Amino acid sequence: MKTVIKTNGLSKTYTNTAVPVHALKNVTLEFKEGEFTAIVGPSGSGKTTFLNVIGGLDKPTEGHVVIDNVDIATMKESQLFDFRLRHIGFVFQAYNLIPVLTAMENVSFIMLLQKQSKREMEKRAKEMLEQVGLSDKLDIRPSQLSGGQQQRVAVARALASKPNFVLADEPTANLDTESAFNLLDIMARLNREENITLIFSTHDQRVIDRARRVITLVDGAVDKDEHFERN
Amino acid sequence: MNLIIKMAWRNLWRNRRRSLITMSSVLFAVLLAIFFYSMEKGSYERMIDNMVRYSTGYIQIQDVLFEDEPSMDHSMLVDEHINGILEELDDRIDFSVPRINHFVLVASDRITRSAMLMGIDSAAEARLNDVSDRITAGSFIEDNDKDIVVAQGLAEVLKVVTGDTLVLISQGYQGVSAAGLYRIKGIVDLHIPEMNNSTIYMALPEAQWFYNAQDRLTSLVIMPENPQHTRQLAGDISERIDTEWYRILTYEEMLEDLLALMQFDIAGTMVLLAILYIVIAFGLFGTMLTMLLERKKEFAMLMALGMKRAQLAIICFIEAIIISLTGAFAGILVAIPFVVYFYHHPVQLSGDFADAMTGYGFEPILPLSPDPVVFVSQAMVVLIISIIIGMYPVYSVFRLDMVKARQK
Repeated sequence: MKTVIKTNGLSKTYTNTAVPVHALKNVTLEFKEGEFTAIVGPSGSGKTTFLNVIGGLDKPTEGHVVIDNVDIATMKESQLFDFRLRHIGFVFQAYNLIPVLTAMENVSFIMLLQKQSKREMEKRAKEMLEQVGLSDKLDIRPSQLSGGQQQRVAVARALASKPNFVLADEPTANLDTESAFNLLDIMARLNREENITLIFSTHDQRVIDRARRVITLVDGAVDKDEHFERN
Repeated sequence: MNLIIKMAWRNLWRNRRRSLITMSSVLFAVLLAIFFYSMEKGSYERMIDNMVRYSTGYIQIQDVLFEDEPSMDHSMLVDEHINGILEELDDRIDFSVPRINHFVLVASDRITRSAMLMGIDSAAEARLNDVSDRITAGSFIEDNDKDIVVAQGLAEVLKVVTGDTLVLISQGYQGVSAAGLYRIKGIVDLHIPEMNNSTIYMALPEAQWFYNAQDRLTSLVIMPENPQHTRQLAGDISERIDTEWYRILTYEEMLEDLLALMQFDIAGTMVLLAILYIVIAFGLFGTMLTMLLERKKEFAMLMALGMKRAQLAIICFIEAIIISLTGAFAGILVAIPFVVYFYHHPVQLSGDFADAMTGYGFEPILPLSPDPVVFVSQAMVVLIISIIIGMYPVYSVFRLDMVKARQK
């Protein structure tokens, strides 16, 4: 399988604190196409920092992040904006959707920034909203959707532009059990059908139980990297 | 671009009440500013208009020494040289008004005052102003009259009425004593308090006889076809006239002190308006600041998704511009009917305030100016303020730390 992301000796130290914080320590990992990976670990273990660094939102202090044979750690900010737009999908825990846009517009948002054709964009956005079971909510704004529905729209948006991989930062943290399972079913199905690499940071056991690969971080370093056979 | 405008527009209405309050504050500031500025401009425009029509005209031809040493010895003859120039520029000159103006000592039976005696050609003067229609008692002088018309303020000071006789004493041409007894034919109420307290009208031939200055004038008032071309016409007359003997003055030169006072007064009003706008600017800035604080996480999310800082900055900037310009245009729209109404129906002041205005030499009315400059200038001020304030969110967006903002 093709390698989507490769990290080599990744370290991140925050020095703007009273005592330097080593959020990541020498993390070397590879993620293959179509993987469904959960990054787990206690609070402060470096999960979110790891996602930020491989998502190009934060720069590593040391090491490399190679995506599509390009080391994004050396990219300028303007290049990173474009890179994220073209290659990475994001699902966040909260503040996920743009409140002033409808579900349809939210899903189209990245494609719109990518300057895709209107026809193509609308077709894909409708298709994605149908896939997440929200084809009847096209013109509804986020405030009128439940938390679970909002996360489903966020998943649809992250996948609509067909990125190389999707990073999800604790996407189920604010959801009730039913909504969380529903979201995970959808993500697992889309992972299979669209062959998109999904990487979650989570400490939600419901997510961990669905992941085919579970990487445990402790104090910023990889403690365990386990693979599981799951449907 | 559609997405950016759509997002900016919808963002404005996310917190409808806050946006409306901010817009309203801009509206009231613009309304007040227009009202103040229009009132001041209107008063001065009216004063200048009155001074031009009743006193100076737009351009005057004088003897070269008269402005600095106003005596009858510095009066002039309107000879062929001047008439030739007037004929040459006839298509740009509406009409000319001959005058002989000089100070006189005027005495009733018990009171003596100094006054300005204006020897006028009543037909020509009627084209310049409506002085003959402003008679409050008696009637206006005609060209062959030997009587005088006295301004109302002066008549009150001298305690005289129509039919009374006044003694006029002055210095005539070439040192001749000018003195005479004149019957008051009419009392006239002039617009300008300063003139109303000091003017006496006499027919031009009689005034020339009084000053022993036959055929002589102290000034020839020139009214241009288009008053906006006053300076250009004055320049063209200057080029042609013998400047060794004659001098051309525009109303701006003749009313230099008044215009300087106006500028000083306008500067005072500008300070007041600046304070008003500073208050509004802080209100607008507060709104922007709150909006930024509320939306930092959202901005970080948008940037993470791939929206460029510049695109986000444009959204914030458009929001600032829309909110302030909507308020400004609403203010202008609300102000227009007020200004137009008070332009046609100026507020007539009365009581102490009117006395105070008169004391300062102002006509005791408050006319508003409907000059588009009044409205455009306020819109421009608000636009500049909103551009300056709009730069803050732009600055903040460019400095935003995506990771920190998402953690907050």
